[in-house]
Amino acid sequence: MKVLLVTWVDPWTRNVATIHKWVEAGRTLGHEVVIFGPPNADLPKLTFTTDLANVDIALLVAQLQPDFPDMPYLARFLDGIPRERRMVLDMWARYDETVRVEHDFNHLEKFDGHLGWEWHDAFRAVSSTVLQPTLAPRRPDVQSFLFHGFDAGSVAAPYTSAREAAAAWMQKAYGLMYAGSNWQRWDQVRSVLQAHAPLCAKLGPACLIGWDWRTRPEWAVKNGIMGMDTDPDLLARLKVEVRDGVRFDAIVDLLGQARFAPVLHRPLFRHLGFVTNRTFESFYADTIPVLMLPRDFVSSIYGAAALRLVPGDDLAAHLIEVMRAPEPYWEAVIQTRAHLAEHHSYARRFEQLGKLAAVHSARGAVR
Amino acid sequence: MRILFVMKHRGNAGSTHAVANYMRIAPKYGHSVSIYGNPISYVPELQFSMDIRSFDRVVYVYESELYRIKRMQDAVLLDRFARRHRLIVDTDGMYNPLIHIDGYDFNHRNEQERAQWIDYIEALGDTIVQTTLEPPPNPKAGCLEFFGYNPTLELDPASVPPKAYDVLHVGHNWWRWREVSTELLPAIEQIREQIGRIGFVGLWWDAPPPEGSAAGPEEAFQSDPDELRRLRIETPRAVMYHDVIRTMSSARINIFTQRPVLRHLRLLTLKYFEIFCADTIPLLMLDHEHAEAIYGRAGRELVLTGNVAGKIVDALHRPDYYLEVVGTVRRHLASHYSYNRRVEELIAAVGN
Repeated sequence: MKVLLVTWVDPWTRNVATIHKWVEAGRTLGHEVVIFGPPNADLPKLTFTTDLANVDIALLVAQLQPDFPDMPYLARFLDGIPRERRMVLDMWARYDETVRVEHDFNHLEKFDGHLGWEWHDAFRAVSSTVLQPTLAPRRPDVQSFLFHGFDAGSVAAPYTSAREAAAAWMQKAYGLMYAGSNWQRWDQVRSVLQAHAPLCAKLGPACLIGWDWRTRPEWAVKNGIMGMDTDPDLLARLKVEVRDGVRFDAIVDLLGQARFAPVLHRPLFRHLGFVTNRTFESFYADTIPVLMLPRDFVSSIYGAAALRLVPGDDLAAHLIEVMRAPEPYWEAVIQTRAHLAEHHSYARRFEQLGKLAAVHSARGAVR
Repeated sequence: MRILFVMKHRGNAGSTHAVANYMRIAPKYGHSVSIYGNPISYVPELQFSMDIRSFDRVVYVYESELYRIKRMQDAVLLDRFARRHRLIVDTDGMYNPLIHIDGYDFNHRNEQERAQWIDYIEALGDTIVQTTLEPPPNPKAGCLEFFGYNPTLELDPASVPPKAYDVLHVGHNWWRWREVSTELLPAIEQIREQIGRIGFVGLWWDAPPPEGSAAGPEEAFQSDPDELRRLRIETPRAVMYHDVIRTMSSARINIFTQRPVLRHLRLLTLKYFEIFCADTIPLLMLDHEHAEAIYGRAGRELVLTGNVAGKIVDALHRPDYYLEVVGTVRRHLASHYSYNRRVEELIAAVGN
């Protein structure tokens, strides 16, 4: 199967890690996965192409407006790939009615210059099949396809023994590390850091990695875009080490330098049950993920064992308890990794995509 | 048939007036024409629409710049209109080999820019036409005259105010300075004392655009405001498209110039026709053969080239004679270049 991913790939953000996994897994499984567009020297492991011959499935992975190719590529894509081979993966719930959760949103004209109906129309122009990375899309005409997955081979330290993992885990430079840019997550990040701060001496320092944590970006201030808040004074008081964003391929090793890695989803995704790359990637790192997510979401994606990694209402107590007796938590991590490998492998994702494409193709070029 | 134009719509330049004529005439033939976009308050007569799916065909009009709409909107357009239902009108001769005129004007700065332009256009569609009577240098391009003459816009001399100027030139200073400075101004200097007020109406005669190189090549806006002042040439502000004919009518004579690369390619523009709607004597900086090809034999009589000073003085001295010539040209234009014809040609070109 030849899969063409149509999207804007940026080595620093969004879906770049998952796309690399699709390419690697495709190679192993006998599929070809290519990215539409001119070559990108920053991403040498990806094959970029403008050759549209023999494409079986073209998947527009849409999050922001630039995920639609610019001209002339846009015309080549739409004229060159038959509609029955094109599908849209809606990574931001753009296809839904407008949703506001706290400051978070799926449509905001002053952010990207587009109203909700424009996203809807543009998706329908590409395909009649729209997928979303959630187990339960809200719209009846949207289908579930998680896209992100778990590659067991990417686990940095694949312990089979919780005791062994826990012993090694005691030697970490940081107590807690969060990697992710400042986008709609400040309230959650602040809570985590405030819970961690009194425990800093015992657990080790906290580190925050990502763009725009040092100061609220000027463009957001100017345009009145909320949800990119930060508090540099508080971060200083809590003695949090703040670093700029890093490339996608540095994340797993960095997280492995900390005992704990919180997994936070922005309010919109939390509300809609969307998964992200970090949902799965955090389990590659040699760390104990702290799943700051709804319990029903955790059990449905990660399996029952992962519920032990959900801190409940008292995060500090959870962290202290894990420090006191890490082995059961490492056991939960190992079991969760096994669950993810079984249920969310990229081999599964290829199967799921193939089935969705077959159904879509059988419907013909409907509009 | 409902036709959607995708184009840069400017009130004081470009092809907006031509499309306004299509809007007026098309309904007579059971068609309708709109421009893609939101309505503009200061041109309420122009019909805009963003309801892409209600249209049957799309016409992209490109001048020297590739006018871009948002890519998500582009996606809807591309999906709605199959390639065979997309017509591309190249009004500035961009879909041609690289053309440089006397080291001055050009269609593309270099082969790389040309290749990008061609790449874009050919990705967009297969039917590409240029606004000319003659086959373009690029054999893949077709001809569509596109611009036309609307006799209902002819101004009745009784309805226009008294002439404020003897000579006007209505047009922006966009690749015109070389012709103006080497042919028009020296001639005007010779006869300056015999002429009353002179005006160059349009943008960039006093200064280049404030946005600098983002507006285009620096040499395109070259001017010498001191020289204009020395010759007592006024530079009134540019006017909106619907005031062009009335403005032209405020002068006894209007001089027609065309940027060199368009003249070289014999591309028609709106000005070819608007100037004959005005209550004025158009004098043309064109080759005699080209003037005849467009305006009929009488058009030769209005050509300035080679005798600028003499022709201006003669037209000022013998207005009745020249107005009779203008009348003959108008009749020719009305019978050969009406928008009735243009609409039929457009419908044929977009694939009826």
